[in-house]
Amino acid sequence: MSNFLLYLLQQGRATQTKLFPQLDSFVNGLPSIDSSKACQAMECNACADLCPTKAISVIEEENTEKNATVQIRLGSCIGCSLCIDNCPTGTITRNLATATAVTNIDQLTISNREKVITAPMVITASKEKKSPFRRSLAVRVVSTGCTACDLEINAAGNSIFDLERFGISIVASPRMADALVVTGPVGISMQRALIRTYEAMPEPKIVIAAGSCAISGGVHTDTYARPNGLNAILPVDVFVPGCPPHPWSIIHALMLAMGRVEA
Amino acid sequence: MIPSRTFTAVDELGNSIKTSLNCGQRLGLISSIDGHQLITLMLDLQTGTAQLLESALTGSTYPSLTLTLPQCHWFERALSDLFAITPLGHPRLKPAILNEAYTGIAHPLAAENSVQTHADFSYLEVEGDGIYELGVGPVHAGIIEPGHFRLSCLGESVVNLELRLGYLHRGVESRLTEIPWQKARFVAEAAASDTAVANALAHAIAIESIQGIEPPDRAQYLRTIALEIERLAMHIADIGGMSVDLGAASMAATFGRLRGMALRLADLLSGSRFLRGFICPGGITKHNDSLLAELHRTCRQLRQEILPILETFREDPAVYDRLHGTGYLSASLAKEFGTVGVSARASNVPYDARLSFPHATYPKVKLNLALQTDGDALSRLLIRMEEVSTSFDLIDEHLQGLPSGPIIAAVPQELAKDSVGLGIVEAFRGELIHLILTDDRGKIRRYVIKDPSVNNWTALAIAVRQNMVQDFPVCNKSFSLSYSGHDL
Repeated sequence: MSNFLLYLLQQGRATQTKLFPQLDSFVNGLPSIDSSKACQAMECNACADLCPTKAISVIEEENTEKNATVQIRLGSCIGCSLCIDNCPTGTITRNLATATAVTNIDQLTISNREKVITAPMVITASKEKKSPFRRSLAVRVVSTGCTACDLEINAAGNSIFDLERFGISIVASPRMADALVVTGPVGISMQRALIRTYEAMPEPKIVIAAGSCAISGGVHTDTYARPNGLNAILPVDVFVPGCPPHPWSIIHALMLAMGRVEA
Repeated sequence: MIPSRTFTAVDELGNSIKTSLNCGQRLGLISSIDGHQLITLMLDLQTGTAQLLESALTGSTYPSLTLTLPQCHWFERALSDLFAITPLGHPRLKPAILNEAYTGIAHPLAAENSVQTHADFSYLEVEGDGIYELGVGPVHAGIIEPGHFRLSCLGESVVNLELRLGYLHRGVESRLTEIPWQKARFVAEAAASDTAVANALAHAIAIESIQGIEPPDRAQYLRTIALEIERLAMHIADIGGMSVDLGAASMAATFGRLRGMALRLADLLSGSRFLRGFICPGGITKHNDSLLAELHRTCRQLRQEILPILETFREDPAVYDRLHGTGYLSASLAKEFGTVGVSARASNVPYDARLSFPHATYPKVKLNLALQTDGDALSRLLIRMEEVSTSFDLIDEHLQGLPSGPIIAAVPQELAKDSVGLGIVEAFRGELIHLILTDDRGKIRRYVIKDPSVNNWTALAIAVRQNMVQDFPVCNKSFSLSYSGHDL
């Protein structure tokens, strides 16, 4: 045991100090759209054909020559990279940012006609609207899916990401919680338990949909178990896409809920 | 692998299974295609072959097999849920997968449109002076999947544990028959994403056996590496989880950090921390050659760092004291209930699918079977530790001997008609089975997944008896079971 103490002392600091770092270039990440590269949909449509969750639409427009509209719904995206790897024009690119959470589900629909998600600004001075959770957030996690998101939330608490340094703690009961993080697509079997958990939380409260299943149902959408995500069941304040979202993205979602970063 | 198909009369089924079991075979799974028949998969561990018994049903009932073959009990409950097939005389027929939310809804996989009516969800009542019930879940205190545990206790000891699962039912098996098979691998992986590699591999092997294709050598090697990285990462997570439950905070923090390193191995190999989308029918999708050297280096570094810490954890007297004799599962019960994986090997049942059935580079690889005789939580911990070390060896060996060549074989776009494909993989929890049956148009007609946890949940319920209530988390963690893989 004394050896172990020595080992611990030798480890120094494992925690990453840079917030929301870029992912390594070889990581799948989420797709992004480069508006400067025109999409030639006429003969291609590869991205929409390959997408396992029908998250991509390619729309031909009459008045624009050789430049179709590509639309990606990141809330359905499972980050498989097939669209990125098979886009012949380079219109769909890799988004290696980890600050990917948003407060409005419409922000998750990206297209070459609109602005793409950009890196966040970490706010230091207080803005006009103050969140009651700026300095601490007690979080209850309810899992309704395949456990990858749960493992990443667990990982967000390890000494590498260390979510507790931001005043975030994972609590054992909904009675103590400010925020409810839901993972998974919420099939009908789990709806009652989830709603009761939500009702047990004191006001004010925040709901975070973590992962593409919680946002849209992901790969499970529209089976007989109706696992179509959280939106129809509870009012959702923050959405974080990914399958699963990176621990930094989960921390981003929590800090967004606290009002400490902007989407 | 393609199982041989035979027809067995439903009245003969029990005897037929019993005969096979006596010859050293294993019961893989019992299910149905559309409610008009039973399909039973028998596995021969010696020859590495499988047999699919098909038994036509007249009506929707048949005599239950559970009374003489206890390991059938869970499969029969699922048959009743999904197909409206009633095993007559089943000692405790209650829903295993569907819950109250499905009352009034048609049995999802049955061809006939019969509505779910029976809804006896009552728990076994233990009677006697001072007996009290303790209900835990479905929403738990930690960040884990949902399930309900009903503990009947006397004083501080558990008399009986009844499980209620199914909260994560998402209709995975039905979804797999609805989508084009080329996209099915993403759904198969999401059956349980902590087991993503094993699920993808079992899916790929099942499809490949239908198509009659063999992936190239390089892909097979990389598949083994992926499977062992997953085993490594999840065993470290489970050992770390055990240290959390034992209150060893600094140990838990260390394992959390080192698991991060194991996930980096996955990232380096596939671009995904859970190796999602890496394995596909025909081989593997992509990998970056230039990262293999770093992968090898990181793997060696992790090994060097973690093995002494595992040793320290193992030698801690407090660990021995809490785990020795806790959650005991005898070898005979482990066999009787068809327990698989770590839990079986800890109870002296020498079964590892890596030694019995062809997948990736197994069983051609030299592999030492980790085996313990005590059947307690400590034995399960020791098995995991030994397997962590074996996984390092295998990854190292496979990276060194990695053959060059293509990583994917050509896969026909049409599936063979009226055929059966079977994938059996040793996931980190144990034997995982994917069984695919195609119809006369080459579409997937039925997709059955048998997660290792289906066998092992019963083992937990048995092992926790006579243990202290406060040791329940330790027992549960030592079995490390999947809810999503079971509920599908």
